[in-house]
Amino acid sequence: MSMMKKNYVVETIRKAQMVEMLANGKRMDGRAPDEHRPIKIQTGIIQKANGSALVTLGNTEVIAGVKIATGTPFADTPDKGLLVVNAEILPLASAYAEPGPPSEDAIELARVVDRGIRESEMVDLTKLCLIEGKSVYTVFVDVNIMNVDGNLFDAMSYAVVSALRTAKMKKYVVEDDKPKATEEEIPVPVERIPVSVTMARIGDALVVDPMSEEEAAMDMRITITTDDDGNICASQKGEASTISPEKVLEAVDLSIRIGKEIREKILEATS
Amino acid sequence: MEPKRKLIGDDGLRQDGRTWDQLRPIKMEVGLLKNADGSAYIEWGKNKIMAAVYGPKEVHPKHQVLPDRALVRTRYHMAPFSVDERKNPAPSRREIEISKVTREALEPAVIVEDYPRTAIEVWIEVLQSDGGSRVAGITAASLALADAGINLRDLVVGCSCGIVDGKVVADLDDTEDKEGSGDMPVAIMPNLNYVTLLQVDGIYSREQFQKAFELAIEKGREVYAMQREALTKKFFGDGQVSTSSEEEAE
Amino acid sequence: MIPGDVIATGDYRYGSYVEKRGDSYIALRIGLAEIGREGIKLNPMTGPYLPRPEDEVIGKVIDINGFGWVIDINSCFDGFLPASFVFGREFSPSTHDLTTKFKVGDIIGCRIESFERSRDPQISIRGHGYGKIPKGEIIKISPTKVPRLIGRRGAMINMISERTSCDVKVGQNGVVVVTGPPEGIVKTAEAIKMIENETHAADLARKVEEHLGGTPVGT
Repeated sequence: MSMMKKNYVVETIRKAQMVEMLANGKRMDGRAPDEHRPIKIQTGIIQKANGSALVTLGNTEVIAGVKIATGTPFADTPDKGLLVVNAEILPLASAYAEPGPPSEDAIELARVVDRGIRESEMVDLTKLCLIEGKSVYTVFVDVNIMNVDGNLFDAMSYAVVSALRTAKMKKYVVEDDKPKATEEEIPVPVERIPVSVTMARIGDALVVDPMSEEEAAMDMRITITTDDDGNICASQKGEASTISPEKVLEAVDLSIRIGKEIREKILEATS
Repeated sequence: MEPKRKLIGDDGLRQDGRTWDQLRPIKMEVGLLKNADGSAYIEWGKNKIMAAVYGPKEVHPKHQVLPDRALVRTRYHMAPFSVDERKNPAPSRREIEISKVTREALEPAVIVEDYPRTAIEVWIEVLQSDGGSRVAGITAASLALADAGINLRDLVVGCSCGIVDGKVVADLDDTEDKEGSGDMPVAIMPNLNYVTLLQVDGIYSREQFQKAFELAIEKGREVYAMQREALTKKFFGDGQVSTSSEEEAE
Repeated sequence: MIPGDVIATGDYRYGSYVEKRGDSYIALRIGLAEIGREGIKLNPMTGPYLPRPEDEVIGKVIDINGFGWVIDINSCFDGFLPASFVFGREFSPSTHDLTTKFKVGDIIGCRIESFERSRDPQISIRGHGYGKIPKGEIIKISPTKVPRLIGRRGAMINMISERTSCDVKVGQNGVVVVTGPPEGIVKTAEAIKMIENETHAADLARKVEEHLGGTPVGT
């Protein structure tokens, strides 16, 4: 997260070591440039939530919780349910995080992840409609960042996807033009699995799944989200810097390849 | 008016099978968060709470700095998904009040004079809430303060007691808290035997008050034993302990 | 000991992290207590670094202003190294460029010159062995473990240095810089980790020595 870079100064010797090691294809923690840290996904950890997931990417730790209720749809999409994705970088998570309304980093985080979910049509929002124009399911996914060690984008994305895939909601039926809750529990209509892959540029190299120290040394970050068919459904370049078109395409190809691998992991953890 | 349903059965057992003086299952673990200076996680019944401490650290904004002691900041916050109906992430009046009484419960234990011109920040995040979350939060926060190595006079531990179906019971869960007729969170410094948190919600006769109050303190001491265990596990492991200074630098 | 525990009762002299209540001596930190010739001592196992004058520390330059360098010394307060300490009394912001000496991100070995309650700690690099550290592996440990890492009269740190053929600079603030052969650096890092995790072990020195093996690296 750029939040780390604003305040955390990486030691010159460490940065030099990073660049030197990268020239030999290795990173400070022994990873290859295109290797991500071990991903651990645990679902159903918050029983009061409709769905939840704890995701750890190395030391980065996030918890996503899904709460589903019913409400009125937006005026311009009367036949679609509501899906809202929020993030909070808790003050617990880092010495540089402050309590209060979401920072520009937290907002960017939530919006990028939300775009990946929405554009990929992960959840068919028309299936969340009960009475057009009057009553729809409302799905809120709130993400608590518990410990920051780089790459909040991907950690949050995997947590939101895992929580939605394993979420259960009360089935409502329409009676007398009013929604009525039944005792039946149904899954959220998840059609596809968007997977985001974030890369940081250090020197000339692109490294996948940067940890905090690498983010402090990077001069550019790019996140690319792909869907099950290898299409790009969201992308965001971060940091005030430039990137060549060739590098962008390199990042896209990395993201498609690695995205596929991570999709398998998510499927496994959420079946 | 609808008759209130009975929360204690004819067999004297509560909705979850506990007796009047039984605590819910409690688990604690110290030091799970890597960035925080100190941290502790607690599961108390269905409550799931993470507490973290950062500090001592510089005070921002600078004008709030205290020249002769540390400024203690505390935030009790509930995750939107922690309760039955999604809670807006912005702090509610309830959370703001709980943040204040939590700070006032913990601060007496912190030797603030040892850290002038600094801030000590305590962050309590409720991931799942089910009655008694404020005392559980205080209990975890105290562990986090000890884990961070801040000079403390004592640990702080809490427990909530109340009245259900006219009887004094220990450790109310969410249902008992909502449908019962009294809730009394109490926190103490167990070795010094001082009360640092006391709130009363409901109506108690003089005897009921004394019974609930003393029960809360008694149960608090049981929880204190678990705090000790959690800290011992992290710092002293199961191995032999050396008290020799032979190997230390002068 | 856990904060609030009674270490002993009676009449003793006592040091930091201990409080006297009546005739009981109470621990204020998680740590190991001992009662010796100098009275009651509590060795804390966790806690921040608070600067003391004369402490040798390893810091990181995090900011430069007109009059000196701001140094992160792994404490709640940043240290300040006045430009006049380095350039001398003729220093003036218009004639001297501070970045020629130290830049943001540089690691320096230095000393806490003074620490008054109302100001940030003042740093000095006057003396042998201080100044910019141009290379090495940076390892961070809890400041409370530094005495263990150094050992009595340097016994532990010298032993590690010998066995790994590495130069190990230890700052009182918990920052360690290791230089030497790559295998030596790996072994040093392992030894340091052992000391951090098993501070309470009765025969730590022997364990570390055993782990490092009998023959120095590189011979």
